[in-house]
Amino acid sequence: MASLDDPGEVREGFLCPLCLKDLQSFYQLQTHYEEEHSGEDHDVKGQIKSLVQKAKKAKNRLLKREGDDRAESGAQGYESFSYGGVDPYMWEPQELGAVRSHLSDFKKHRAARIDHYVVEVNKLIIRLEKLTAFDRTNAESAKIRAIEKSVVPWVNDQDVPFCPDCGNKFSIRNRRHHCRLCGSIMCKKCMELISLPLANKLTSASKDSLSSHTSPSQSPNSVHGSRRGSISSVSSVSSVLDEKDDDRIRCCTHCKGTLLKREQQIDEKEHIPDIVKLYEKLQLCMEKVDQKAPEYIRMAASLNAGETTYRLEHANDLRVEVQKVYELIDALSKKILTLGLNQDPPPHPNTLRLQRMIRYSATLFVQEKLLGLMSLPTQEQFEELKKRKEEMERKKMLEKQASLESQRRLEERRSDLPSRANGEVVYLRRGSAPLRKAEGWLPLSGGQGQSEDLDPLLQQIHNITSFIKQAKAAGRTDEVRTLQENLRQLQDEYDQQQTEKAIELSRKQAEEEDLQREQLQMLCEREWEREREQFQAASLHTRTRSLDFREIRPFQLEPSTEPCTHLAHALDLGSSPVQSSATPKTPSPSSALEPVRVWSGPPALGQEFLPPSTMSQQREVPSLNPFEEEDSASPTAEGSTSPRAAEPSCGPPSRILKEYNPFEEEEEEVAVAGNPFTNSNSPAPNPFSEEDERPVPGNPFEEATCTNPFEVDSDSGPEGEEPIEEELLLQQIDNIKAYIFDAKQCGRLDEVEVLTENLRELKRTLAKQKGGSDWPLGRELTSQDKWPPQNLERDDYIENETFQEEGALKRIGTCSHPQPRLKAPTAQDYKFQATLRHPRWLPGGISCESAREVETARRSCGGRSAGGGVCCSGHSSPLASRLDQRSHAHERPLPDSPHPAVPGPGGRGVQGHGEGHDGELQHAREAGRRRQEICVFQHTSNPIQKPLGADHDV
Amino acid sequence: MNVVLAVKQYISKMIEDSGPGMKVLLMDKETTGIVSMVYTQSEILQKEVYLFERIDSANREVMKHLKAICFLRPTKENVDYLIQELRRPKYSIYFIYFSNVISKSDVKSLAEADEQEVVAEVQEFYGDYIAVNPHLFSLNILGCCQGRNWDPAQLSRTTQGLTALLLSLKKCPMIRYQLSSEAAKRLAECVKQVITKEYELFEFRRTEVPPLLLILDRCDDAITPLLNQWTYQAMVHELLGINNNRIDLSRVPGISKDLREVVLSAENDEFYANNMYLNFAEIGSNIKNLMEDFQKKKPKEQQKLESIADMKAFVENYPQFKKMSGTVSKHVTVVGELSRLVGERNLLEVSEVEQELACQNDHSSALQNVKRLLQNPKVTECDAARLVMLYALHYERHSSNSLPGLMMDLRNKGVSEKYRKLVSAVVEYGGKRVRGSDLFSPKDAVAITKQFLKGLKGIENVYTQHQPFLHETLDHLIKGKLKENLYPYLGPSTLRDRPQDIIVFVIGGATYEEALTVYNLNRTTPGVRIVLGGTTVHNTKR
Repeated sequence: MASLDDPGEVREGFLCPLCLKDLQSFYQLQTHYEEEHSGEDHDVKGQIKSLVQKAKKAKNRLLKREGDDRAESGAQGYESFSYGGVDPYMWEPQELGAVRSHLSDFKKHRAARIDHYVVEVNKLIIRLEKLTAFDRTNAESAKIRAIEKSVVPWVNDQDVPFCPDCGNKFSIRNRRHHCRLCGSIMCKKCMELISLPLANKLTSASKDSLSSHTSPSQSPNSVHGSRRGSISSVSSVSSVLDEKDDDRIRCCTHCKGTLLKREQQIDEKEHIPDIVKLYEKLQLCMEKVDQKAPEYIRMAASLNAGETTYRLEHANDLRVEVQKVYELIDALSKKILTLGLNQDPPPHPNTLRLQRMIRYSATLFVQEKLLGLMSLPTQEQFEELKKRKEEMERKKMLEKQASLESQRRLEERRSDLPSRANGEVVYLRRGSAPLRKAEGWLPLSGGQGQSEDLDPLLQQIHNITSFIKQAKAAGRTDEVRTLQENLRQLQDEYDQQQTEKAIELSRKQAEEEDLQREQLQMLCEREWEREREQFQAASLHTRTRSLDFREIRPFQLEPSTEPCTHLAHALDLGSSPVQSSATPKTPSPSSALEPVRVWSGPPALGQEFLPPSTMSQQREVPSLNPFEEEDSASPTAEGSTSPRAAEPSCGPPSRILKEYNPFEEEEEEVAVAGNPFTNSNSPAPNPFSEEDERPVPGNPFEEATCTNPFEVDSDSGPEGEEPIEEELLLQQIDNIKAYIFDAKQCGRLDEVEVLTENLRELKRTLAKQKGGSDWPLGRELTSQDKWPPQNLERDDYIENETFQEEGALKRIGTCSHPQPRLKAPTAQDYKFQATLRHPRWLPGGISCESAREVETARRSCGGRSAGGGVCCSGHSSPLASRLDQRSHAHERPLPDSPHPAVPGPGGRGVQGHGEGHDGELQHAREAGRRRQEICVFQHTSNPIQKPLGADHDV
Repeated sequence: MNVVLAVKQYISKMIEDSGPGMKVLLMDKETTGIVSMVYTQSEILQKEVYLFERIDSANREVMKHLKAICFLRPTKENVDYLIQELRRPKYSIYFIYFSNVISKSDVKSLAEADEQEVVAEVQEFYGDYIAVNPHLFSLNILGCCQGRNWDPAQLSRTTQGLTALLLSLKKCPMIRYQLSSEAAKRLAECVKQVITKEYELFEFRRTEVPPLLLILDRCDDAITPLLNQWTYQAMVHELLGINNNRIDLSRVPGISKDLREVVLSAENDEFYANNMYLNFAEIGSNIKNLMEDFQKKKPKEQQKLESIADMKAFVENYPQFKKMSGTVSKHVTVVGELSRLVGERNLLEVSEVEQELACQNDHSSALQNVKRLLQNPKVTECDAARLVMLYALHYERHSSNSLPGLMMDLRNKGVSEKYRKLVSAVVEYGGKRVRGSDLFSPKDAVAITKQFLKGLKGIENVYTQHQPFLHETLDHLIKGKLKENLYPYLGPSTLRDRPQDIIVFVIGGATYEEALTVYNLNRTTPGVRIVLGGTTVHNTKR
């Protein structure tokens, strides 16, 4: 330890820390210390001693406590062993049987042995370091020899007449050689050489290991410390080595053997086989499952009981998350299974056995835990459950309010006589619509349930609506009427409130979004919430109108503001393309076109094409859609126009919507059979299609999102259900696969057959589901712009949105070759959307993807609230189906499936890169076209609901 | 006093102590059996033990990423193997557990071999016996004696097993042994010696009533192993043979491949656990219930899964279904085979006569029945010889003993020499001369009245009349009435109270019938816990 003071000098041996005297062994050092230094330096000694004692005490305490803990926990842990059905007949819990440890004995013996061994090794390494520390090339041989001799005293030549190893007599021909490490003599034949790299490796490794290796000695005595300490001080002198062929150090076989052993140890320490890395990952995943699964089960149990403590979406998210981990476990264990199978010398059978076992246990784990995951109720089921539960509460409330109502009824009957007549007529005319509406809106009540707390007004409305329903069911028309009246009043009030609120919220939100894209998820949640409210407001509003025509005045006013907020909201909710679609019609289209231009790959071409096409399209659009015309021409004029005037244009295409939107129902007769947009969309000469390589700045899915909130909402019911079903299917397919694997392993062929049959069945169903979703796309082109975006705030929104879009584009732009990323993620995104609907599944933040991610996440969020699946709307059917097929072709629909990983090289031309890229190419083309449509038409088709919604009757 | 749990806890502790990471379990031949009795593969897999190796297998690969848990008997060979192993370690770190006391010199030589400091633990975990049932253990030693005396190697093994059992249950018992058996006395002395030598190991918390170790010799009751059994476990063992919970079904005609060898373990087979002590008729009805249950749960394979709900249900029920189907097919096969054998070998009739021979004293009808059965071609050699053996044992000194005549019948029947020799061997082994107590004739007035009453009531089940002699012994022991002149204490001190924890060890092997007896005694007498052990678990063939 003397070297601490003087790093320049390196000394080996058992040095006294005080006088630096070299004592030959630990024991001698100890006695020396006690004899020589017992009197002096009480301070130092005392310090050291107390330190040592403290350490010992602490250690003892620790050890003891550990031991006790272990004993305790052990005793508890073992009690829980199951008796496996054997009657444990009154036998008390049993503690662990007697044990006896020989460890300390063992260590004592070993330490004696190891001490010797380690001292040997360390001595050699220190000497080696000294020998390599100086510049060998430049030094004279005599000098080198002198140094070498100083390191270790050489044995006298005369003392050794024969080679100790081979026994040959030394002579002039058979010369003596000295081992530079221990000084002994051998003949040339028995001499070994240590190359400098090896020496370097050995010395530097011991340096490293010492810095990290904290007291490798299990034995408590301080020998190890001092011993190793001296090495570390030695190694602190960094050796600069000159590699030269003749620079090798002579040594005897014994020393070489010791050093080689050491080298092996070092190697083993550093080497981590692949299987370990994979296995560690696997274990991490399993831990995660162990954490998450109970939480999920709690949630699912609560949800299945119809409680609202947890939200279905959260539970779904969690489920998806857990499932993802399972997939990962599966994938990892598979990887482990196949590790090294293709290597040339095939791995040892035991390695294979190990791999098989790991795989097997992982399969067991997945089977056991995954099947413990109870399924969630579908959205509808959940509502049912919830309704059933709420029914009771409602009934109570109803009774409570019954007396109150009857009073009010008396009063209001007088004042409302005229209105009643009117309302009744409407009601009658509506026929069964409300009923259907109720069905269609079922999921909404879930959202309402949550937002109830937010607004007492809303709550009241909600209550009254349910009363109406009940009253209707009971056939009490008079009560219904009064209730409706009440409702109307409430709604009016609420509408106003909401409008204000919505405006404020959306503005705030627009700001936020720019700032907090990274906090996407949270934001999405909120948006979703807001969307719900908005929608509710709107729906209530429409109902109000349908119930009472006298109110045409306020109503006319309101649609003009409300719908706009909705639209704005829809825009906010992840439909940034909407704004881009809207922009061409705004007085300042340039801002919207900006990004497009930025991205049009070969600007010369793209720009030339772009403006004219936009123009032409623009011209076309107004002619087709009077509404848009109004929009761009005279925003104010719209205020006076009845919203109904706009409806003819949107009514017909939105046949699905009619149930949900009372507006359209009225106008249904007026419906124009064909949808001009549909026609104009697809055949439109598309300059953009030539620019396939252009990275569609926005997610192609974006295009689809310019949606009417109503439409979206109305679908949220089936939407919410479908993904679950689909997800379930996928999950089941996976499960069955696991079983097949299992069965195969067991060699049960009959079972395999049955399972395979099932699997096929499942796959067919899934394909049907998806297939069914494809074809209706075309005819389902729906109306978007029912709501005249004529609000005053509209421009603000658009600006906000544009800004966002631009931001996104810029972000994309920072990546030099964004294209390659584009295709894969889209397929992936699609998959996410279609099957999983979970933002957290998005591929990790790659810069060029971030914008996409943002969009997708938003969409998935919006999708959840607003009917989901938005993403796929951008695709026309062929692409969607292709995607479907592809995703089915994958064994695992996971993001880590090979496809998304395909890294398309930068310049992706029109010609595809082989088969796998075809879909992507198509996609890109599609996307390009879409994009254009959006810029030009405001209304792209919105087949979103289709892929998912179409099959809910399966 | 649950031996299965005791061993299981040891194993769990080993695995736990080695921490997380991939592990390999390094065992020898015997410990492999010990571990396999208490842990199933999937169970141990979940604890990250992925490989199972024999220390003596030469073909092991270097896998430095594995931790090795060595569970070995402290034999000389094992220590040598281990020394070699440590010199060139194949795994990263070693946790060494010996199943019994290891000598200091062995520890030292191991320590000196461990130059690379790969050993992290050296302990003795006394799981040195095969835990068959919670109250039944075995040492799997066949032929422990040569004539009347111990084979020295087997004596030491038995001593080790027995002391290990005591240590694992943390009992330091008083010892009683069967006076008539020299072997019992030797064993008792050996155990005592170990306890004295390793006194610090046996320092457990004193209970009010010290536990009792009773050492018996099979020759005192040679009848029990000769009878056909009708409880499930015993029957399976008798007719098919259970070896470390494994049953070899390969001789069953038309057996499917994966049922060649099945495992019957009460630890993870609920049906078996619930039925192992029930008699054959009850098993029949239970298995029928099981089948019906299974049929209900069985998804209709022909029925198409039409809706998603169907599929969901199918998928969710599949594992249970699969597990159940495994259980069902296993038990159906086993029971089917049993009933086939019963029919084929005319066992019901044979058993009736056996029981008559064992329990009644009507010589002429017994002789008549035996003779009749010997004529029956369906009765196998083995069963025929068994009947004659029973007859010989019971009516050894009967005035009109017609054993020679029966032996002639056996020869006429074509029973091989081997079996015929067995008859005289059995008589020599368990004949009256050797027996310390009278097996067949009731000894005191109480017993006579009991038997008389029993005779009046009629026998409930002709096939299960016989109560093993052990029952009586234990009954007396529990009541504190076991005679000290027949079963003396080793050492000066005697037990004054009634014993609570009793460990019975039968030199020459226990039977499942006795296990059943112990099981019933455990259930019916609160406060008394009995563990039965034997050098092996018998069936007639052994």
